[in-house]
Amino acid sequence: MRILLCAVVIAFANSVMAQTQLSLENLDDFKPQAGNWQIVGDVVMNRQVDVHYKPEPTADSKKKKKKKDVVEELQAVTFTAGTGILLNINNKEKKDKLITDWEHGDIELELEVMMPKGSNSGIYLQGRYEIQLLDSWGVKSPKFTDIGGIYQSHGNDYSKKMIGIPPTTNAAKAPGLWQKMKIHFQAPRFDAAGNKIKNAKFVSVDLNGVRIHTNADVTLPTGGPISGEEVAMGPLVIQGDHGPVAIKNIKYKLLADSKVEMNGLTFKSYHGEFKGIEEFENEKPVKEGSTSLIDVSLAGDEDNYALIFSGSLVIPETDEYTFSVGYTGGVKFVLNNETIVENLSSSAQGNSSETLKLNSGTYPFTIYNYKSAEWRASRLGLSIKGNNSNKKSFHQYDSYPEKPSSVSPIFVNAEQKPRLLRAFVSFEGSKKLSHTIGVGTPDGLNYVYDLNSANLIGVWRGDFVDATPMWHNRGNATFEPRGAVQWTFLNQPLAELSSEESPFPDKADFADFKPKGYVLDKASGLPVFKHIYKGVEIENKVVADASETYLIHEVAFSQSNLSNWYYKVADGNIRKMPDGSYAINDQQYYVNVLSGQVPKIRTIDNVQELVLPVDGSKIKYEIIW
Amino acid sequence: MVMNIFKHIYMPVLAVALFCASNLSAQNEPKESDYYRITTVAVPEGVLLEAGGVQVLQDGSVAIATRRGDVWFIENPTMEGGTQPSFKKFASGLHEPLGLAFKEGSLYTVQRGELTKLTDLDGDRVADSYETIYAWPISTNYHEYSYGPVIAPDNSFFVSTNVGFEGQEWWRGQSLVPWRGWMFNITEDGKMTPWATGMRSPAGYGLIDDELFYTENQGDWVGSGGLWHLPKGAFTSNPAGLKWAGHPDSPVKISEEEFYANIDKRQVILNGRYVKPANIENEEDPDFVYEMKEKFPQIQLPSVILPHGILGISNSQLIVDKSMGKFGPFEGQVFIGDQGQSKIMRVVLEKVKGEYQGVAFDFRQGFQSGVMRMDYDQNGNLFVGETNRGWGSAGPKNSGLEYLTWTGKMPFEMKSVKSKADGFEVEFTKPVDRESAEDLDSYLGKSYIYKYHAVYGSPQTNLEEAKVKGVKVSDDGLKVRIVMDNMRQFYVHEFNLEGVKDAEGTGILHPSFYYTLNNIPEGTKLPVSELSTKRSSAQAKPKKIVKKQISKAVVKKEEVLSDAEIGRLLTRNTCNACHQKDKRVVGPSFQAVAKRNYSNEKIVELIYNPQPKNWPEYATPMAPMPQVPRDQALKIAAWINSLK
Repeated sequence: MRILLCAVVIAFANSVMAQTQLSLENLDDFKPQAGNWQIVGDVVMNRQVDVHYKPEPTADSKKKKKKKDVVEELQAVTFTAGTGILLNINNKEKKDKLITDWEHGDIELELEVMMPKGSNSGIYLQGRYEIQLLDSWGVKSPKFTDIGGIYQSHGNDYSKKMIGIPPTTNAAKAPGLWQKMKIHFQAPRFDAAGNKIKNAKFVSVDLNGVRIHTNADVTLPTGGPISGEEVAMGPLVIQGDHGPVAIKNIKYKLLADSKVEMNGLTFKSYHGEFKGIEEFENEKPVKEGSTSLIDVSLAGDEDNYALIFSGSLVIPETDEYTFSVGYTGGVKFVLNNETIVENLSSSAQGNSSETLKLNSGTYPFTIYNYKSAEWRASRLGLSIKGNNSNKKSFHQYDSYPEKPSSVSPIFVNAEQKPRLLRAFVSFEGSKKLSHTIGVGTPDGLNYVYDLNSANLIGVWRGDFVDATPMWHNRGNATFEPRGAVQWTFLNQPLAELSSEESPFPDKADFADFKPKGYVLDKASGLPVFKHIYKGVEIENKVVADASETYLIHEVAFSQSNLSNWYYKVADGNIRKMPDGSYAINDQQYYVNVLSGQVPKIRTIDNVQELVLPVDGSKIKYEIIW
Repeated sequence: MVMNIFKHIYMPVLAVALFCASNLSAQNEPKESDYYRITTVAVPEGVLLEAGGVQVLQDGSVAIATRRGDVWFIENPTMEGGTQPSFKKFASGLHEPLGLAFKEGSLYTVQRGELTKLTDLDGDRVADSYETIYAWPISTNYHEYSYGPVIAPDNSFFVSTNVGFEGQEWWRGQSLVPWRGWMFNITEDGKMTPWATGMRSPAGYGLIDDELFYTENQGDWVGSGGLWHLPKGAFTSNPAGLKWAGHPDSPVKISEEEFYANIDKRQVILNGRYVKPANIENEEDPDFVYEMKEKFPQIQLPSVILPHGILGISNSQLIVDKSMGKFGPFEGQVFIGDQGQSKIMRVVLEKVKGEYQGVAFDFRQGFQSGVMRMDYDQNGNLFVGETNRGWGSAGPKNSGLEYLTWTGKMPFEMKSVKSKADGFEVEFTKPVDRESAEDLDSYLGKSYIYKYHAVYGSPQTNLEEAKVKGVKVSDDGLKVRIVMDNMRQFYVHEFNLEGVKDAEGTGILHPSFYYTLNNIPEGTKLPVSELSTKRSSAQAKPKKIVKKQISKAVVKKEEVLSDAEIGRLLTRNTCNACHQKDKRVVGPSFQAVAKRNYSNEKIVELIYNPQPKNWPEYATPMAPMPQVPRDQALKIAAWINSLK
């Protein structure tokens, strides 16, 4: 057996695992189609224009409706030439689905999708299993026909029918905004005779950062497949006959079952209270032998033991591989004479991963494990996941069982009245803020307001918050929003500036800024936030729009004739839309000023800001996502 | 409160009732419940009263602020005449409020990051206005609890703040943003003035004679919990807050540099990692806080130490009995709650040489959960808001509301203990039986002190038996002077008066007192001629000897004491506040310990050097108990192993 000894072979991968990204410079990755699909450089969808797609128009209105569709689609979608975005604009003649010229089995797929109002499409994994795309903005109880739904199969014979699976929550954004979708799909499995032995499965589906499916089996192809026959490999298909859709940033990893093999696995076990590897590695083992899988029970004791497993790994193809070692006690994993994972405390517990680029070949490895910690169950596991292969475990199940948390979550919901709750909140999931309050409404419109800066910092629809982190055991004083949060920006949006070009202060200036809490509006139960800035009393109010789909933020001042005061409505990349509203951060959300001040887009430190002059009259703007 | 607590250490208390076996031999002995009755307020299903604030209102309603962020108004909380209480949600959405105070029609509460005024604007008993009086910075560390407010004599507010714990030195309290680990004062119009620092976990504070006092929990730089007087500018114990002493508003003028120039910070890096400081056994010259006070006069010594593990493990609120006798014979005295041990202690202060000091006793245990907040109603009922907040408590529930009522019966207790130039003067609630009180065998005393170091807690150090020279019983039998040879300034003087009986032959309900002797008063010393120096052990008294044999007889390894016999040892060594025979309390049951198959010697070793990591499912680690005599520890171990 030839063993690769070159140190270069093992290189720690310092980037995220590579994915394949479709270039979208041309349509070469796809099969020819009628021409409804094209590559464009920029797409703008007018969120006000409904493409009025009706999947089953009545016979007598059919002709008329379709004609109208075409006209309105032209208004709904505009684009410029270029590359990077895949755009479908279908009509009566051109309405082909888009089929990749490659096929996949197991796959991790990511993309961003934009749809005009009323449009409909779908992503078919293997051309057979559809995740629905629909303008489902504002839908309160999503069905399987809404965006993120796993569509049902056709037909009425329930013995052969796959019932549709709605998303667990509606994470949809407004028409014309980019929405992120992540799909981890597992293809069906077949035996040698070609009989299906395992269903296709959506391991996970995330929409706009919210998990909407987990381990959902799909027993049959869903409605409108390229074929009713289930297979190991099939193309990715995007529906093209139900309305306009734009897609970009298509990235994927094709996963096959791992062909990594473990050979010649032997073990040695030792008994004693070991604090380090040197205390046992040259001793005489209590027991030794060969074994097929790593198994901590070979230690022969629950505690005060040591184990050495040695063998070789056969790496079938050059790729990046992630090694995960789960353990209690001390552990050291050595591959090809390099230490990959190390935790030398005999009472430790953990799961450590490292990603390495490996050429195909055979690599010797050794795992040392020693535990002197009777309060910890003995555990040892090793699994390996290739960049293009599924995870494969090389241990007995009981040696490192997967264990879910058994803590009952503490959810907080708005019932008949708005629900307010203060907590620390992590802005964009990372920057923890201290003086924040969440407000949830019975309409399912929720937001987080920062009392330290008097700023609306995040909005989401759906369930309110998960307070388990705050209230379980000792807690960490934070809650987590239970939906797809559209974060805005940090720090005080209101400031007196020395000139129109001066930057806003980058944190609340407490000499000038005094939070005053809030008063609950008797009728609505919603808070009116109060603070004082430079002696002016200011009230902030956030209410639902008439359709109860998005929020309207109002800021009122106790004084008029203010000069050199400015209010920042948004920052990031800002684009003025045809309807007069502004799309923020590459069409992540919209703001639309209702109160008459003329917004100005200015650039400070290479960041665009949408700024309103403040004279003391009320500011009112919509935040639409 | 709990918060100490974080990693508070559990230890036992005098807790006879907890130990079922001890009742066998004590059927007719008086019980706490004969004198003080606990009544549990029924809480509607789904309402979690993890109490952070308790405030009795003028109409007899009780307002409770809870960890879930709600403020409940409970009408008819005493359930008089067998009627039901009614619950109304006054406010909600608050960030873990840890206090409530009523002032001019509004309730004030402290949330994590601000002092808030809650006002019902239209009379429906629902708060409409949540006004921020003052907001302070907070780093978002989970341990940064903020407590209060307490209303000052000038109608301003006091607020206290915990230190945070994070990073590599996770054991070292840190003041991550200004005024963490501080007490500060806030006026109604939002002006903040720093008041004092040295706080680590100042969950309980309040006014005694219009002076501010607070309780602290054992932890880093806090050898034992206790009660501190907090005049403006005081520095008490944990140095984290000194980080801001250079601020122009700081009334404390001790810089961190000066401080650590005089005491070892115990910040050691080995192999690139910080090393957690541990107690140095048999330390030659340990530091004591009174020595530091010689260098830094702003240091405030604890007025009354509440020996850790005996009088609580996580001291919480303090309250003065102003019930004019409705709460029993302790008018004007101080009551201090404890979360981990779910009980209330009693403290009597006196001023000696211009400084407060005094005595502490056990008072009432057996609450259903950690005692966090207390308030008296106008009938002298003491409402007790409870929570253990993830730290575990002797009371098995996680939260609740109870109230404590004097039954009208007079307990036989030490009412107070005052220091004298030559010892102590104990005052009783009832006349003593002269014979038992004049017997020096009735007075077992010792003194000890706690180290001042970066380590979490401290063992009782420099332990010394009290040398009682004699006693003098007053003519009315209500007072006893204990005269001793070896009074030690700054030390806790602990006396057990088990032998002292009242006229009916009943022993003292809580026979131990713990006096913190910061100053030895001037005054006349009693001449030996006036003292009784009798010792019954000098005569032949079979009954007493039997008792002594229990504790002193040499027991062979295989000889196991009965439950009743062992009960006394468990009580004396305070084991049974945290352990019961067959039930998990703060710590594991003795039966669970037995199942570990330790040898007797190993158990003794674990009593002296507990290994909390062996019991990861228990929130509160056990503190080392080096003061348990080895022969007693062996007997306890043998008994534990007999439970297999």
